[in-house]
Amino acid sequence: MHLVKTMKGKMLLAIIAGFFVTVIYFSLPILNIDATKEPKTFLTHSGAVIQTTGDVLDPVGYSGKPLEFDPEKYLREFSYGRISKLSDGTTLREFTIIAEDNKIMEISPGVFYNVWTFNGTVPGPTIRATEGDLIRVHFINNGQKPHTMHFHGIHKAEMDGVFESVGQGGGQFTYEFTAGPVGVHPYHCHVMPLEEHISRGLYGVYIVDPKEGRQPADEMVMVLNGFDTDFDTENNFYAANTIPFYYQHHPIQINTNELIRVYVVNILEFDQINNLHLHGNLFDYYPTGTYGIPSTYTDVVTFSQGERGIMEFNYTYPGKYLFHAHKTEFAEKGWTGLFLVKESDTSQYGVK
Amino acid sequence: MEEIKKTSKAKLIASALIPIVMLGLMIAYIFGPGSNFLGLGVALPEITIEKIEFLDSKIIATVRNTGHIDVEVVQADVNDRIQPAGIEPDKFLNRFETAKVIIPFAWNESEPYEIGLTLNDGTRFSKSVMAAVQTPEPNFELVSYFAIIGTYVGVIPVLIGLLWFPFIAKMSKSKYKFFLALTAGLLLFLGIDAIQEGLEISTTSLPGAFNGQLLVATVVVISFLGLYYSSEKLISRATSSNLTKPVAIGLMIAIGIGLHNLGEGLAIGAAVGLGEIALSTFLIVGFAIHNTTEGLAIAAPMAKGKPLIGKLVMMGMIAGTPAIFGAWIGGFVYSPFAAVVFLSIGAGAIFQVVVSILNWIRQDEEKTFSTVSVVSGFSVGMLIMYLTSIFV
Repeated sequence: MHLVKTMKGKMLLAIIAGFFVTVIYFSLPILNIDATKEPKTFLTHSGAVIQTTGDVLDPVGYSGKPLEFDPEKYLREFSYGRISKLSDGTTLREFTIIAEDNKIMEISPGVFYNVWTFNGTVPGPTIRATEGDLIRVHFINNGQKPHTMHFHGIHKAEMDGVFESVGQGGGQFTYEFTAGPVGVHPYHCHVMPLEEHISRGLYGVYIVDPKEGRQPADEMVMVLNGFDTDFDTENNFYAANTIPFYYQHHPIQINTNELIRVYVVNILEFDQINNLHLHGNLFDYYPTGTYGIPSTYTDVVTFSQGERGIMEFNYTYPGKYLFHAHKTEFAEKGWTGLFLVKESDTSQYGVK
Repeated sequence: MEEIKKTSKAKLIASALIPIVMLGLMIAYIFGPGSNFLGLGVALPEITIEKIEFLDSKIIATVRNTGHIDVEVVQADVNDRIQPAGIEPDKFLNRFETAKVIIPFAWNESEPYEIGLTLNDGTRFSKSVMAAVQTPEPNFELVSYFAIIGTYVGVIPVLIGLLWFPFIAKMSKSKYKFFLALTAGLLLFLGIDAIQEGLEISTTSLPGAFNGQLLVATVVVISFLGLYYSSEKLISRATSSNLTKPVAIGLMIAIGIGLHNLGEGLAIGAAVGLGEIALSTFLIVGFAIHNTTEGLAIAAPMAKGKPLIGKLVMMGMIAGTPAIFGAWIGGFVYSPFAAVVFLSIGAGAIFQVVVSILNWIRQDEEKTFSTVSVVSGFSVGMLIMYLTSIFV
């Protein structure tokens, strides 16, 4: 009692009280939960139900804002170039590709990552030509680092995009070569450090059609890729066409009994392999798409870096069918999608 | 005369305020508009997952923003696989703000888990749990379970140790000094042990922002000084009141050990609550043997006074029961910050007690520590603690 009466005693008590208040403040969670808030119920991408008064963390919604990159559009978009005829009758296809490396893109809901792009997107545009066409790519490097374009295929050494690095801040180069061989090929930047230049997003698909054409079909492109957002040389996100889980929430709509042709390219860095498994169906698989005879009829195909091929299939029964990496880690980190097969007599994209 | 006093007081206040005002101006200049000092360096986000709870088909992670900038939590994962989750109150965390992340997940008993959270810039932070166990909810059964553990670990061993009282009371002066020194050795070991424990929690569980090591140092020193001051007060008044000096010292030792046992109970309760250890009977036996020596520490200084059984038992309770409270706190509202603080208070308290005992030893005709009984007692005390600590 004596203690409380003196000035010193009061100070001492104040110090002790202050000390314990500080301890409690840092020990207990500082939560400002509004108890009056009604909990909302959400059905998540895995089927789990979440009831919360707060926010939901789920790669579903994109907060209402449209995505900068639209996998829906990319899927069936082919770039045929500016077409003209040369004097000898050859078709000339001209493309302009601009490289940039300062773009911050939302690659998964709320996750912003510095992607390096060809024409502003990851992957870059799907360049498509017919065997024998002359391809001329006007390449402009608007980035802050040197970049190139290296096409897989047959061309002269100086068109290989390896030794002629194109300087930053507007450097230019014109790649010119004859389209070939028939198939599906990747193109990507080939400046060192290569892993960085590719994994940041400088890649795309280059399709060469046979002169006689292929059987009409509902055609689409899938680039199997991923992002290492925390720079530990392991991917944090996986996807078909950049955005994790995108096609799971926005199923790819196809028709029953219609031929589906998928050009698949695996450009995934850091992981040794990648694969693709189709549900409720099997497909003809044409490795690299160079031969007209399928190598196998299967439902799983495995890719190493740079490997690619063409899948052809059609669905008899309508409904929802998954397609995903059978390397399930990748599937759980975003490389999962859905085909929504609709019963239809009329063709949507190709011919029955 | 009065006026001179007033002006000098004003001058005094002004001279105290001037440096503060200057500091304020400097900060305003650095952070104020038009300043580009902030462009230097990159502020990195940092969050710390402080607690992971396993409930029926869901995992709850408590996360705190321990970095220098505001962050947004955008994704949760279990074992590095993306999982949908709810976050309350919301996903935006200001500095030091916390949120609860609720992940629906069918977890398996006693398996290890890693919970990860990804921020808006793509960086991922994680925390591992060695073995998932259902997080205890404060029901009567568990409250009594923790009370029983605390009793076995704290109260009973201390009371058993007090039974040495008659043995010590009957011995010669040099042997008595041996036991006093032994007590000091025991306590010094406990103090070092508490500091080590505090530092370990600082490095493993405490966010860097809290400067765990400095927190330990600060709290140990404050606790030492606080108890030093109050014990001097208590002992100086002891001569005038009915409290004898040995009893006063015994009481201070009991309080010091009590604070130490609070930290120990906290550690045990937390370990059970977080599923970090399987609390085996062996571990309880280890703690019990270890803590029996604490009873000896209380008994030793009081042995030269009258045998006051009531007071002895009371001191045993002061020293032992905090283990029960510690187990409750640790088991139900564990926080690494509180654990570090309590362990450090305990360490400071114990060092204060060591100093009191050393003074007590020196207060007779010899006025020295360099006797065989003191040196050997001190060493044996530390050795006993080291050997019994192996069982824990």
